Amino acid sequence: MDPIRVPPEMFRFTDGSRSGLPLAILHAFGEANERLETALGIDDVRARLREVGWLETLDDEDLVKALDQLRSQGHLDVVQSHAGDYRTASEYERRNLQYSLSRQGEAAYAGVVRANEVLNASGALQTATLEALGERLGELAKQLEDGTDRRVFSTLTEVESHLEAFRDNTKRFNGDLQRLLHAEADLATFHEVKAATVTYLQGFLNDLEHHAHTIATRIKEVDDHGVERMHRRALNGASLPNPDPRWLDVRKARWDGLRAWFLPEDGATPRVEDLHRLARRAIITLLQVLDRITESRRRASSAVADFRELARWFTVVPAQEDLHRLWSTMFGLSSARHAHLAHADPEVVSTTASWLDAPPVEVSELLRSAGRTERFTRTGRVRDVSAIRAARAEKALQERAELEAAWNMLDTGGVVRLSAFEKLDHSVFERLLDLLGQALGSAVGADGTRRSTTSDGQIEIVLRPPQTGAVARLTTTSGVFRGPDYEIEISTAGGGA
Amino acid sequence: MSLTNQLVIAEREEVARGIRALLATPLIGERGSPETFDLIRRRREPIRQWFDYYCGWTLTVEPRLGYARLVKVRAATDPTRPARRLRSGRAAFDRRRYVLLCVVAAELLTVPVTTIGLLAGRVAQASAADDLVTTFDVATRAERLAFVDVLKLLESYGVLEAADGDPESFVDDPAAKVLFRVDATLLLRMLAAPVGPSQLAVPADDVALRFEELLEAVSHEQRYGLSSGRHEDTPSASDVQRNLWLRHTVFRRLVDDPVLYFAELTAEERAYLGTPTGRQLLRRAAEQGGFVLEERAEGVLLVDVDGLATDEKFPDDGSNAKVAALLLLDALDEPRTTDYLQKATAKLLKRFPRWAKTYRGKDGVRRLTVDALAVLTGFGLIRTEAELVRPLPAAARYTDRTEEAP
Repeated sequence: MDPIRVPPEMFRFTDGSRSGLPLAILHAFGEANERLETALGIDDVRARLREVGWLETLDDEDLVKALDQLRSQGHLDVVQSHAGDYRTASEYERRNLQYSLSRQGEAAYAGVVRANEVLNASGALQTATLEALGERLGELAKQLEDGTDRRVFSTLTEVESHLEAFRDNTKRFNGDLQRLLHAEADLATFHEVKAATVTYLQGFLNDLEHHAHTIATRIKEVDDHGVERMHRRALNGASLPNPDPRWLDVRKARWDGLRAWFLPEDGATPRVEDLHRLARRAIITLLQVLDRITESRRRASSAVADFRELARWFTVVPAQEDLHRLWSTMFGLSSARHAHLAHADPEVVSTTASWLDAPPVEVSELLRSAGRTERFTRTGRVRDVSAIRAARAEKALQERAELEAAWNMLDTGGVVRLSAFEKLDHSVFERLLDLLGQALGSAVGADGTRRSTTSDGQIEIVLRPPQTGAVARLTTTSGVFRGPDYEIEISTAGGGA
Repeated sequence: MSLTNQLVIAEREEVARGIRALLATPLIGERGSPETFDLIRRRREPIRQWFDYYCGWTLTVEPRLGYARLVKVRAATDPTRPARRLRSGRAAFDRRRYVLLCVVAAELLTVPVTTIGLLAGRVAQASAADDLVTTFDVATRAERLAFVDVLKLLESYGVLEAADGDPESFVDDPAAKVLFRVDATLLLRMLAAPVGPSQLAVPADDVALRFEELLEAVSHEQRYGLSSGRHEDTPSASDVQRNLWLRHTVFRRLVDDPVLYFAELTAEERAYLGTPTGRQLLRRAAEQGGFVLEERAEGVLLVDVDGLATDEKFPDDGSNAKVAALLLLDALDEPRTTDYLQKATAKLLKRFPRWAKTYRGKDGVRRLTVDALAVLTGFGLIRTEAELVRPLPAAARYTDRTEEAP
């Protein structure tokens, strides 16, 4: 799409917010235009101004100045009217000038009106638009079958305007939604807006899929008739006085736009699915926000009262002990409390034995005799399970690290011969043997290779038989391995492969 | 050993650690303990399920806001787990600090940002407006100290964040400038009890009289119907609710308290634990939580060999009272009077002359006895009735039967 360019002076009248008079004048002309009055004299302008709500006193001089300014900016054209019936010279001077909106003025006014619409509009996704779009597309297909060029044109125009409305709505809706998701300042209002939005979105989503499907089907139907041919027929049916060569390009661009939304030609994801995703995500986010709002609203007011009441309770509860119990109960922030000494072998004591009969846990002798626990040395008798646990966890971690290191070391990064390994650490060699065993255990593929993966899917090995019966010789820390010199390729899923 | 197995083991260990970390610290912030928080964030689903299934406690993890909150619902019976001042010595909160904590919390709920001076002013106003609560006097140093202790506690929970300045400076200078940001959502989550005190509308005069009943009332959860703790159960409580209540009430005590004595359970709860299902659940919960389960004729307890899920350890040399407690157990081969125990303590003080520093003079013996007995009570090893101290069955875990009593 070409970048949008606007004539330099187009919106000059909106700059100075001094009076708003120029805008009011444009407004007056706009209103007049709608009644098919294209040219206004200065008195007409004054009358119209009052109609559009300009109630300040305005002397002729200022009005003429404002009109002249608009004229110099190219928003108004001036023509001399000689047709009027003038009695005096001054009246002639006053009234022979007729103003009318220039093309640029019309555009500028339309721009302002549109800007206002955008400012005031709230986004809405209308299923009705989608429904109409689908229906018009169906009609279009039908007209292509047996209708006149004129009907093809009018139906196509309707399709385009519905698409336009849909796109506009979507754009605006998305903007609104993002703003809605960000703004959390005024909880009270947003609560209602958000609740309504969620209900509405859910309804919309329910229909979206169905309509999108219908539209996609209809697009295909129209396509079958030939899009280019349809556009030529529409051009014919439009019976424009002097057809703009770009007319067909614009139609094609619009049609491509339609396809992009519902049935992209390159098989890409239709944009309508993005909309679907967006709406669904919005629902989730909104619901979460709503939840939080509802919760905090429900609780905030009562929580203040609760804290105040609690302060009173703390004031009157008599016993020191009850203070702490009240704290633990109300706030639930107190720690649990547990013993940390366990029996060395918990399994040997029956679960039905009395504590009195069960052997005691082993308490540090030093603690009994000297009032200290061992900090640096442990007596052999005290079995500290936490140390064993830590050691076990450490060992497991280490094993895992070794395993990963071995795999990484074995990662060949391409096809090599077994003999290429030459020297290996014994533990790594064992891993290699595991892999070789696995590969050899698998069936030979059509191309003479054997493939295998470790059970966790981390490692893949590909094995090809040795070319000339060559023998590989691998030295490890524990001895020497001899075997056929396979061509192998090992790759790790997460590794460099 | 394959990688898959390793991962499974790693997950199991992490889930178990997360469970025990939350039991010790039900509100874990990312800023205070990033590693633990990260672990809980990653394993939140199995951890959440564990608490939900066994205890009926909700775990909320807010990955973006950076905290995890386990809502422990339970009418507390143990007075030895107070809020603590975050100073050396970690003294328990006194009445004034608890009261101020609540007043401050109420005031903080209405402002996102405040300064220490403004807050003190509001607390003074609010306390003046209340006919029961003593008016906060910012001019007194002791009051400011209590106020700062409260703020520091809230800061440690992440409810308050000192954006500028040090709250401590307020103790010496009421004009100190400290800017606070308030996390209102987290502040709301501070209250764990399902029923708000304001809903109960109890006249102030009744609070002291009906205290036990009030603790039950604020912990009342609707989900159990009429099952919850009422012995005169009506048939209208469904079996599902009753089962849920039985499981949750038993496991809440088991995972939160050092020892669960069958004698302290209702007949129904005891029967529940006696069923094969009950036993199996016990074992599974302990295993998933990384505990060693100790089942005996008189009760069960969970041993946390890593000492993660506990505020204190016993036996331990953390304080003289703890060592004394361990040694006093040997004297408690049968119910003893406090007089008898004080004599035993006196012997201990002779044996460990260095303890005399903290327990000086004649009163020292009594104080040490009281402190040591408090440790034993806290670990569910003794019960004191009037002047008689009775050992509870689990005390036998630590008694040395080879030696003579001191």
